[in-house]
Amino acid sequence: MNPWRRSGLRAAGLRVRLLLAFALLGLVTTAVVAGGSYLQARRVILQQAQDAAVVSLTDQLTKFYPIRQLPPQQEDLDRMAQLLSDRDGYAIVIYHDMRAQGSQTADLLTPELRRDVRDGDRVVWQRVSVRGAPALVIGAPLMLEQPDGTSEPSGVEVYAVRSLLSEQRSIDQLALWAWLTGGLCLVFAALLASLAASGVLRPVRELGRAAHRLGEGDLTTRLAVRGSDELTEVARTFNHTAELLERQVGELRRMEADARRFVADVSHELRTPLAAMTAVTDVLDEEADRLPGDAGRAARLVSEETQKLTRLVDDLIEVSRFDSGTARLALDEVDVAAAVTATLRARGWADRVRAELPPGVMARLDPRRLDVVVANLVGNAFRHGAPPVWLRLRAEPDWITVEVGDHGPGLDPETLPHVFDRFFKADTARTRSEGSGLGLAIAWENARLHRHAGHQGSLVAGNGPSGGALFTLRLPRATTDPAEAAESATAERAGAAGPAADPATVGPAAAGDSAAAGGVR
Amino acid sequence: MTGRNGTRARRAGATRLAALLAAGALLALLLTGCGVRPSAVVTGRPAPDGPAMGIRLYLVWHGQLAPVTRPVKQHLSREQVLRMLAAGPDGYERSQGLTTEVPPDLVPTAPPSSRAESIGLTVTMSGAVTTLSAIAADQIICTASGMAAEGQKPAPVTISGPDGSRPPRLCPY
Repeated sequence: MNPWRRSGLRAAGLRVRLLLAFALLGLVTTAVVAGGSYLQARRVILQQAQDAAVVSLTDQLTKFYPIRQLPPQQEDLDRMAQLLSDRDGYAIVIYHDMRAQGSQTADLLTPELRRDVRDGDRVVWQRVSVRGAPALVIGAPLMLEQPDGTSEPSGVEVYAVRSLLSEQRSIDQLALWAWLTGGLCLVFAALLASLAASGVLRPVRELGRAAHRLGEGDLTTRLAVRGSDELTEVARTFNHTAELLERQVGELRRMEADARRFVADVSHELRTPLAAMTAVTDVLDEEADRLPGDAGRAARLVSEETQKLTRLVDDLIEVSRFDSGTARLALDEVDVAAAVTATLRARGWADRVRAELPPGVMARLDPRRLDVVVANLVGNAFRHGAPPVWLRLRAEPDWITVEVGDHGPGLDPETLPHVFDRFFKADTARTRSEGSGLGLAIAWENARLHRHAGHQGSLVAGNGPSGGALFTLRLPRATTDPAEAAESATAERAGAAGPAADPATVGPAAAGDSAAAGGVR
Repeated sequence: MTGRNGTRARRAGATRLAALLAAGALLALLLTGCGVRPSAVVTGRPAPDGPAMGIRLYLVWHGQLAPVTRPVKQHLSREQVLRMLAAGPDGYERSQGLTTEVPPDLVPTAPPSSRAESIGLTVTMSGAVTTLSAIAADQIICTASGMAAEGQKPAPVTISGPDGSRPPRLCPY
């Protein structure tokens, strides 16, 4: 997961958490307020309905006095029940085991209600559910006055059943309003939460973006410092850090550039005396056979070392060209198989290398650089690997691949990452080898110089499946002009170029420079 | 590091779970609390009362005193009412399951005397009174005190007979 994606996720997490918190707050508040008022309203509605029904019932019951007869006749009960029944409900009148006829089923009279009416002297009521519909059952015993002012139950129980459907409808309406209010509040809370979240998260996101840019190498990144909250402090610290970093990196780059320029200058300065020395050693070489003993050996040694020094200086100049970015490609339409064959033949390796070269592979590249790379790889294979050395050319629609392998022990996995470092020596004991120590580094740079449409040539070191070192050179088939490439590369870097494209961070060049400087000193 | 993160994640998960549970419980409460729910029995104002026509006797229904009224043409004395009580329930009353425990031959020998107010009323009966059941005694007491004049304070009633007398007692109603 790349850092940007991670920070994005974290921001989303914060947003989600804020949203959740606000939603929960809204939910709880709404539930408490709406629920509370709903319950209160329901209580009031029911209370009013019950009170009204109770008052109405007691009013009607007073009309039954004086009681004509106890025990009452069946028709008395029926009459009472009929008087009490209206469109709102009906009544059940009970005397002991007798019940007013036409009374609906007494199932809805709960035993507790019956007991409280029979044994008490007060009006009682209970809400029941009749086949899913709510109803209020009010029960009252008919009391008899006694001479002393107290009263006694007559044994007649009156139950009035009143439907609570209209109340239920009102209450359902209330509930609907409560739900609606709750939903609206929730939406409102979510809106507020997202507003707050974006308010809080915008600086965080900006910070993340700036850090990402800084990490990608854009050291001029700065944050706008606004307000005076904690995040502003962070932004200020960030800016300060970026400034320091920019200054230090700039210094390092300047020093590096100075070092490179120094190497380039030294190499150039060495060239003229070397040319003179080469001319002298050529003469010495011719005379060496005629010189006696040590003098001849010394002459040959001087000649050899001068040649080596010349090669080294040439390589150094080549490397400094890469470093200063002045290396230019001389592109040409090339038959790759022919070019490789020519390279092998020129070095006298044509018979010693098992070359697999399918004919007719045309590519647009710099033939001189291809020659340098192939010669270097094959030469290396001879020097460090074991024969037979083989070379294979493969063509893909957009790429050509040249593989060079040998049958030696292969590359040590530990040294593998440093193979292309400058002056890197796999065998530390062998301090002096025939090569300058820059060959593979130059080959690597040459491969990378070939680029097309954002793709870069590459040179990869590894070990073949059957043992032995295996170097794979991949070049685009249609390398674009270096001047254009440079332009497009600048455009790319301004866009979203990977860190690997930045010359400052390329391993071999950076690692090699100090070595190069040390080597010359 | 991972461990601490894991713990934090677990704790956050637990918090979230608890919050979800709370929200669920709240929702369930809201849903079940909706509408008109059945309730327990609520006791309200006193039940209405009023007079009854005729005289009032106390019979027994399922072991409990039960008042009955009888229409009368003219004013009856306590003695006459107690005689009616001794006569027991009539046909319709009996059909309603009303009974009496007062023996039919237990009638007052003299008009009940109202002595000092503190002592109350004394009813002298013809038969044994000490062996009467409590219900029978209450029938007599309540019937006798029910004949009291309007607005009079309830007075204890003493039942006496040839075998002695019962302690004075108020009508339990």
